[in-house]
Amino acid sequence: MEGNNKIFHRKKILTIFLLCAGVFLGLFGRLIYLTVWRAEHYSTLATDLHERERSIKAARGRILDRNGTVLADNKTVCTVSVVHNQLENPDEVVEILSKELNLSPEYVRKRVEKYTSMERIKSNVEKTVGDRIREYDLAGVKVDEDYKRYYPYNELASKVLGFTGGDNQGIIGLEVVYEEYLEGKPGTILTVTDAKGVEVEAAGERRIEPVNGHDLCISLDMNIQSYATQLATQTMAAKEADSVSILVMNPKTGEMLACVNVPEFDLNQPYLLQDGAGQDCTEEEKQNLLNKMWRNGCINDTYEPGSTFKIITAAAGLEQGVITTDSHFSCPGFIIVDDRKIRCHKIAGHGSQDFTHCMMNSCNPALISVGLRLGIDNYYSYFEQFGLKDRTGIDLPGEAATIMHKKENMGNVELATVAFGQSFQITPIQLLTTAASIVNGGNRITPHFGICVCDSGGKVLEEFDYPVKTGIVSEKTSATMREILEMVVKEGSGKNGKVEGFRVGGKTATSQTLPRGSGKYISSFIGFAPADDPQVIALAIINNPKGVYYGGQVAAPVIRQLFENILPYMGIMSYNQ
Amino acid sequence: MAMQRTAVRRKRREQTEFFFDYSLLFIVLFLLGFGLVMIYSASSYEAFQDFQDASYYLKKQLIAMIIGLVLMIVVANIPYHFWERFAFLGYFVSMALVPLVLTPLGVESHGARRWIRIPGIGLNLQPAEVAKLGMILFLAVMVCKMGKNVRTMKGFFVMLLVPLPVVAEVYLITKNLSSAIIIMGISVLMVFVASPDYKKFIIIGAAGVAAVALLIFLIVSSGGGDGGFRSERILAWLDPEGHSQGKGFQTLQALYAIGSGGIFGKGLGQSMQKLSFLPEAQNDMIFSIICEELGLFGAIAVILMFIMLLWRMMVIANNAEDLFGAMLVVGVMGHIAIQAILNIAVVTNTIPNTGISLPFISYGGSSVMFLLIEIGLVLSVAKHIQLKEL
Repeated sequence: MEGNNKIFHRKKILTIFLLCAGVFLGLFGRLIYLTVWRAEHYSTLATDLHERERSIKAARGRILDRNGTVLADNKTVCTVSVVHNQLENPDEVVEILSKELNLSPEYVRKRVEKYTSMERIKSNVEKTVGDRIREYDLAGVKVDEDYKRYYPYNELASKVLGFTGGDNQGIIGLEVVYEEYLEGKPGTILTVTDAKGVEVEAAGERRIEPVNGHDLCISLDMNIQSYATQLATQTMAAKEADSVSILVMNPKTGEMLACVNVPEFDLNQPYLLQDGAGQDCTEEEKQNLLNKMWRNGCINDTYEPGSTFKIITAAAGLEQGVITTDSHFSCPGFIIVDDRKIRCHKIAGHGSQDFTHCMMNSCNPALISVGLRLGIDNYYSYFEQFGLKDRTGIDLPGEAATIMHKKENMGNVELATVAFGQSFQITPIQLLTTAASIVNGGNRITPHFGICVCDSGGKVLEEFDYPVKTGIVSEKTSATMREILEMVVKEGSGKNGKVEGFRVGGKTATSQTLPRGSGKYISSFIGFAPADDPQVIALAIINNPKGVYYGGQVAAPVIRQLFENILPYMGIMSYNQ
Repeated sequence: MAMQRTAVRRKRREQTEFFFDYSLLFIVLFLLGFGLVMIYSASSYEAFQDFQDASYYLKKQLIAMIIGLVLMIVVANIPYHFWERFAFLGYFVSMALVPLVLTPLGVESHGARRWIRIPGIGLNLQPAEVAKLGMILFLAVMVCKMGKNVRTMKGFFVMLLVPLPVVAEVYLITKNLSSAIIIMGISVLMVFVASPDYKKFIIIGAAGVAAVALLIFLIVSSGGGDGGFRSERILAWLDPEGHSQGKGFQTLQALYAIGSGGIFGKGLGQSMQKLSFLPEAQNDMIFSIICEELGLFGAIAVILMFIMLLWRMMVIANNAEDLFGAMLVVGVMGHIAIQAILNIAVVTNTIPNTGISLPFISYGGSSVMFLLIEIGLVLSVAKHIQLKEL
């Protein structure tokens, strides 16, 4: 019996051993699964856990003008941050950082004492300041270099170029529209740390290099832009105007050569309000003031174009065949439309005149007659055909839409006022584009700045195409319009726009700002040259000039001076040569 | 030549007198040495941060280990029947020590009150460790005393009821589920060996598996909303990544370590997870650091050492001079096997997380001392094996 006992005991002990060995074998299998099949999954998760990221900003692409002049560049700046767990002397850090960075000690202390793995104290710190902080050699303080946008010409084309924010993202202007090309891809510095965020020294750093953004070449000409800015600034001062805008465009392609809106602002200090304004107002009021300062009036705001719009009425009349240059109109100084009496600006009237002279004199009753001869349906369809109802599609953000009567609400009185440029609103860029399309042979072009995207070596990566709608007026109508408008400058109301030795066409306008009777006017002049083959078209708008306010006397000389300088510069030969 | 022949002959004669299991001793010493290396690797970073002494844990473990080895040698040289008379005393001492953790003698650590301070020495003792040893001794004596009565139904139930008071004490007073499971497991294994029956145990095993499955099913279907602490552990076990900030945290960190170690490991001392990411890296979770640093091959080597250890103990138990010796060895074997299996299963997330240390390798003074005393008992049993019977 004792022997039997022994045998079953042995069997049972063997069973236990085999059972345990079997379980161990199962755990083998589990381990093989974890270390072979799941290794990649857990390694990735573990690496994510062990590494702390610090991002390296990518250099943003530059913005170059048509001649390769750099309008927006990058400069090296520093970002100062603290690593909470590496701080040894927080009080000293607070003191030095608040002193060097011009921040309040409370603000810095809050950031320093915040328990995060890495807290940014300030970005876009000047390199000299960053170097100085680095020299203190404070434990737990990190100074990383990155890039900041820098605009070499400060105020030049500020409302066109736009600026960037703290993370180098575009905020307004071209910087926003071409963000995807300019921004680049930020890199990362990966530091291996323990669970508390303290760096493991032996492990070193891993860098993922940033990819720099691409350069943007724009059609703007720095020289034309700066000359136009100079002219606008002088005019604004001389006429004590609220603002002056000058637009210069190539009428054949829609390339914008200049876009000036004075007062401009300093792109390197975009948050600085001019003349110390906004010092004692709330954040919201300050933001409103800033938004106003950043507004590009030529694109974001609409106005009543006034007599410059007669170009459109005349072109529609000629195209429809309701008038020719020989059509005669009689102006007694007013015209009666339905029950309304609409006055001409010359109270005595222009008398009998052919259509060319009507335009030269900018005669309201004659143009109202053209509008009435066209009728509401025709006029409205030309308005749409010329593209006036749509936005121009310029590559700047926030283009304002046309404010126009609904067709079903239009009567003859409304038609009459529209015919000479009142009772509706369009943007200056819309007026310029439409006028350019009429004189360039009838091709509705898209105004634009962006030409192409290049890499840093200047190799073109992508060229931009813009839509062109052909045949909005016939070549014949276009030629007639060029002749009429040349006559306006040669002998008519736009004679102050005449440039010695060049054939210039144009049209003046003096419009009242709304509400009427406020005594405020907008003087404008649209001019193009050479008149027989326009290569440049420009629009000057002077907002609320003091003293003389007629477009022919205020705005036309601005364009004259502009053309006197830029036509030779652009290599447009005078007909004398 | 003649000299050598006589030497061989003398050796053979000596061997017939007594047997010393050097392979068992070697395996234990290897595991202890390996454990020290791993404890240093896993704990030095934290030890330096907390105590400015990288070998803080290493030193404490080394001292406990030396005391343990001395005790082991002493126990190994005392005939094991000497302990028979202390069986009842051991049982009652175990019963008496556990409630002491609630007195001012109790020491709290990691939010659990499981230790008592021995006055004068300054050493902490875990009553659960005493209870394990006490239970092995008591059940071995019981089996011998009951003789053939073990085979009756009554004997079977008596044997299973004897450990329950201690198990209940450990579970309820020290909130130590894992020690309770281990004590119960040891008891069941010893009863299994003592009884010639299989059927009962298969039924018990099947019922246990079914109960666990039902429990898990209930917890999962109720979403763990009302089950509290324990059911959250079950949910974290099933989806550690979904509970990464709660109960699944430690397990997930262990899996990161095992997974990122891969097949060949990162190399000794190169663990990243020991840098405060993995809680208890030198203790319950040391196996995951072994996996991270030495890879699958290091882990398999450790498991093989444990299998060899169990094999040696099986050989000793099968050849023990009498039933008492065999039962003692079976108890120790069960203790080490259960603890090693549960530890590796927890670390690899094969079962829900519960605090169990890896025998001989994990940091923990009283654990290693009692394990070495148990090895001393096994060696003592081995010494009385008559080689001629082999």
